[in-house]
Amino acid sequence: MIFSKAINKYYLKFAHLFIIGVIALLVVDLAQLEVPLIIGQLVDDLEAFRTGEYSRAEILDILSDIIWTLVIISVLIVVGRFTWRIGIMGASRRVAFEVRDDMFRHALKLSPRFYSERKVGGLMALFINDIEAIRRALGPGMIMFVDMVFLGGLVFWRMYTIDARMTLVLVFPLILIATAGIILGNKMRMRFRDAQKAFEDLSDNVQESLSGITVIKAFVKERQEIKHFLRQNRNTRDKNIRFVRMQMALQVTVRAIVSLVFVLMIAYGTNLVQITAGTADPFTIGDLVAFLSYFGMLIWPMMAISMIINVRSRGRASLQRIEAILDEPIDIVDENTLDITEIKGDIEFNHLYFRYPDAEEGDHVLKDISFKINQGEMVGILGRTGSGKTSIVDLLLRLYNLKENELLIDGVDIMRIPFKTVRENIGYVPQDGFLFSDTIKNNIALGLEEGSREMDHIEEMAKLSDVHDNIVQFKKGYNTIIGERGVTLSGGQKQRLSIARALAKNPPILIMDDSVSAVDTSTEEKILKNLKKIRQGKTTIMIAHRISTVKNADKIVVIDEGEVLDVGTHDELQERCAFYRDLVERQQLEDEVEVE
Amino acid sequence: MYDIDTDQRLNNYSDKEILKRLASYAIPYWKYFLLTFLLMVISVIFALFEPFLIGVSIDLLTETPIDLSQLTLVLVIFALSIILSAGFEYMQTIILQKTGQTIVYNMREEVFTHVERQDYEYFTKIPTGKLVTRVANDTNTLNEMYTNVIVNVFRNLLMIVGILGAMFWLNAELALLILAVTPFIIIFSFVFRRFSRKAYRTVRANMSRVNGFLAEHLSGMKVVQIFNKEEEKHEEFNEKNTELRRSELRELLVFAIYRPTMYMLFMISTIIIFLYGGRQVVEGTLTVGILVSFYNYLRRFFEPIQQLAEQFNIVQSAFASSERIFAILDEHPQVLDEPDAIELDEVKGEIEFKDVWFRYVEDEWVLKGVSFKVNPKESVAFVGATGAGKTTILSLLTRDYDIQSGQILLDGIDITKIKLSSLRSHVGVMLQDVFMFSGTIKSNITLRDEDITEQEVIDACKYVNADKFIEKLPNRYDEPVRERGNNYSAGQRQLISFARTLVHKPNIMILDEATANIDTETEELIQESLKKMMNIGTMLIVAHRLSTIQHVDKIIVLQKGEILEQGSHQELLRQKGHYYYLYKLQYKDQ
Repeated sequence: MIFSKAINKYYLKFAHLFIIGVIALLVVDLAQLEVPLIIGQLVDDLEAFRTGEYSRAEILDILSDIIWTLVIISVLIVVGRFTWRIGIMGASRRVAFEVRDDMFRHALKLSPRFYSERKVGGLMALFINDIEAIRRALGPGMIMFVDMVFLGGLVFWRMYTIDARMTLVLVFPLILIATAGIILGNKMRMRFRDAQKAFEDLSDNVQESLSGITVIKAFVKERQEIKHFLRQNRNTRDKNIRFVRMQMALQVTVRAIVSLVFVLMIAYGTNLVQITAGTADPFTIGDLVAFLSYFGMLIWPMMAISMIINVRSRGRASLQRIEAILDEPIDIVDENTLDITEIKGDIEFNHLYFRYPDAEEGDHVLKDISFKINQGEMVGILGRTGSGKTSIVDLLLRLYNLKENELLIDGVDIMRIPFKTVRENIGYVPQDGFLFSDTIKNNIALGLEEGSREMDHIEEMAKLSDVHDNIVQFKKGYNTIIGERGVTLSGGQKQRLSIARALAKNPPILIMDDSVSAVDTSTEEKILKNLKKIRQGKTTIMIAHRISTVKNADKIVVIDEGEVLDVGTHDELQERCAFYRDLVERQQLEDEVEVE
Repeated sequence: MYDIDTDQRLNNYSDKEILKRLASYAIPYWKYFLLTFLLMVISVIFALFEPFLIGVSIDLLTETPIDLSQLTLVLVIFALSIILSAGFEYMQTIILQKTGQTIVYNMREEVFTHVERQDYEYFTKIPTGKLVTRVANDTNTLNEMYTNVIVNVFRNLLMIVGILGAMFWLNAELALLILAVTPFIIIFSFVFRRFSRKAYRTVRANMSRVNGFLAEHLSGMKVVQIFNKEEEKHEEFNEKNTELRRSELRELLVFAIYRPTMYMLFMISTIIIFLYGGRQVVEGTLTVGILVSFYNYLRRFFEPIQQLAEQFNIVQSAFASSERIFAILDEHPQVLDEPDAIELDEVKGEIEFKDVWFRYVEDEWVLKGVSFKVNPKESVAFVGATGAGKTTILSLLTRDYDIQSGQILLDGIDITKIKLSSLRSHVGVMLQDVFMFSGTIKSNITLRDEDITEQEVIDACKYVNADKFIEKLPNRYDEPVRERGNNYSAGQRQLISFARTLVHKPNIMILDEATANIDTETEELIQESLKKMMNIGTMLIVAHRLSTIQHVDKIIVLQKGEILEQGSHQELLRQKGHYYYLYKLQYKDQ
């Protein structure tokens, strides 16, 4: 049982399940309590019959009564055990489902700022481990808690009512068991984590060693790798043995204590039976048998204490981490936006300064950027790695917030256009050609509405991007699932597929972020020619580090170290921009030696 | 990463074969198994003794007057038997665990060593993830087999037989009644295992689907947002998440039915015992103490049956894992040392390709009769389109693959006549994508070779200009390298790979130049150190950069697996061939 605003609402939502579950658990605990008592009673009655207290008919009646009680109690326990599992465990699974959903829904709204700070691996750990920790605290944690408090309390109370002296004798061993559970249990869990960590390290090491096998082989380092592996292999083995040792130590310790207590109880009990025989409140043999059973029933709640502490503290820590994600502010929001749904394609950068949110004051990636793109123009933005080209794209897509009037689309401040509208009207081709593991068809149709995903249109786009021929070569053609068994796409194929994806939207503005860098020059030429044709009258922006990509653009913006060096056509720039001329010279032969 | 393994058998091996091979790993440790076996038998006997002693002591209690000395004796035996049985079980478990872990250790060593020595081709065919699963996870499954199955199946059988035996000994009539219930317990346990396994697998599959979806979409969030697909993606996620919840609740249902049903069977047995046993006590044919003993035996009767059902599952998984492991072990490398292969101590660095024909797959020749000669300390650049065969030529020199016809000579010796390890140790390889291991800069240069001194590392880094950026790092040569070296730029990685090569003192160097964009400053450092390295030994380069091409002694122009022309920059220009045409193109616009 852990509380926090991220999950409190789900306690309410699934209150019926929790309540039914807890009630069932209480019924089971209560019913279970009767079993030793009944069996003790049975023993006593049989004994009484032997000593002649009951007649044959009487004892048979009693026997049948007891059997019936047992039947009823069994039914209660069976139904109760089923119910609490479905109730409490079911509720905990449902809460995990909801929290997972909450987290993903929130993640969908978080901006690149968040994703640049957080690694996917770390976020995945939240989704996998932390949700599991919460579920454990809610499900098994709650059951253990109820069991410990009620079962433990009731059993103790029962024992106390049967015989206070005997109960007091048992207090010390019980505390001993709980303490052993906490101390050894903690050690055991620590060692378990160690063993798991060792296994993960081993697994990671194998992964890395085999990924870098070309290097290992080239430098003939197999022996060193094997030596290193054996060290981890040994560590994994030893850590596992250490864990089992502690696990067994805990088990043996508890068993030893329990068995000694059993003996003690029988010895002391015998004594009590003798002393109290014939008094008003005798301690019977049946009482002793019941005591033995009750003591057995107390072992679990005592052991549970340590598990509850552990499950709760982990659950609480996990909850905090998850809450931190859910509390992460959403920074791309519409404020004071105008009611704009369509965009023509005029773009103006107006003395724009930009630094990433986590960068230091004054550490600008873009400095005083000013230039204009008119609707229908094909514009190249050229610069070296790290010059700030991609930042320009990110801003156009409103992935970051800007100051007033630094960037205007159709003469309107981008901050006053709903960001959904901005993105709806821009076709974007990412540099890495990121695709989803879905069919090729669905990938190309990503930007289209569900109803308008005609095959003809999709094929047409694939042809324009010069990737159709590759697609039909796959066994399943357009229904090939990317990333599935054996289907791996080259960087160039990925880029061309993402070009098709962006074109399919037929957007007023198309942005290609160095999108043909992995495509050979002749294919690049073909794609550029197609683009020129179908992008008539619409704005196209091509980011590139290769001259060949932007040579024929209406306008080329040359960027270096976050500043605009010059804007002009290829010929104009050749003439007046030394930086541009230098780039041209450097690159041309390099491109050409690759051509057949 | 979020994949699941199937438990499916491939049936490449017969059960007998698998058992035989699995046994061969255990046989060297037969003494330990025998010892645990003995310990196990003793602990079972003690465990069987317990309920009986409880009954005996109760019977002693009901006698008047109570025979205290006899009771004390029984109690002492009782306490001792419990503690001893716990002690024996402790010893048994630990010895078994140690043995099992050692067997797994040996197996892992064998699999890893085997995989590590496979050919290049092997690694292009089998995804790394699969191999990792073989080495790490499949062997883990076998640990369960050796520790939990081999001895404990007998333990459980012994327990079941022992308890039944004790019951019959105590009272045959009651025992027969219990025997009537037993088939239900067995059938139900096994049926449940089947269902729970299936349910569990479905949960795992759905879980990995959800996690796979998450991992993909968290890394591609930018694209999702730019295409305004938040809602659709949420729907997709919700579908998968719901499917996961459904399968989880199903699994829960299976357990929710199983546990109470098992309890029900137990209570039915208990009621039968008390119903009939109670009658017998009344008739005087049974004592109360024996009845209690019987009840206690019954309580211990269910556990071993349930465990057997579980062990049956483990055997199934273990067989599937063994099959996969054996399949790996039965595949052997093709590129091997010839029996008369020699060790080369000194290498001058003369390389000759004589009419080399090579293909990766049938009927698709990648190199068609390539011949060229490189003199010691010469540098050569290979130029040509993607797929011309440039990279292939370099990989043939280190025998990553064997050629189909022709000859490759090093210092006049056919490379197949040189020991593979010797050949490769003389050739320094710098690949296009520099692979970095997690560790430190130093460990990435020495590649965990403890014979290379720190000074050598520093000298090498200085020589190739890598020291400039390394010296600026807070921990310098001990600066951590994260997975795949992604905390270093492409240019820095290139420089580290130069140092890595240099420190291994090769006489021949192979460089597949990076195509990645490298900032100008680093690019200059790279070019400068490249020029220096050309003086150290023979150098073969797949070149992409103009400045590299201009500095080599010889240029070889390749086209579709054939050499078009070769010669120095000047010679090629004079020939007015393909290279001349390429070079001219540069000035076309000016």
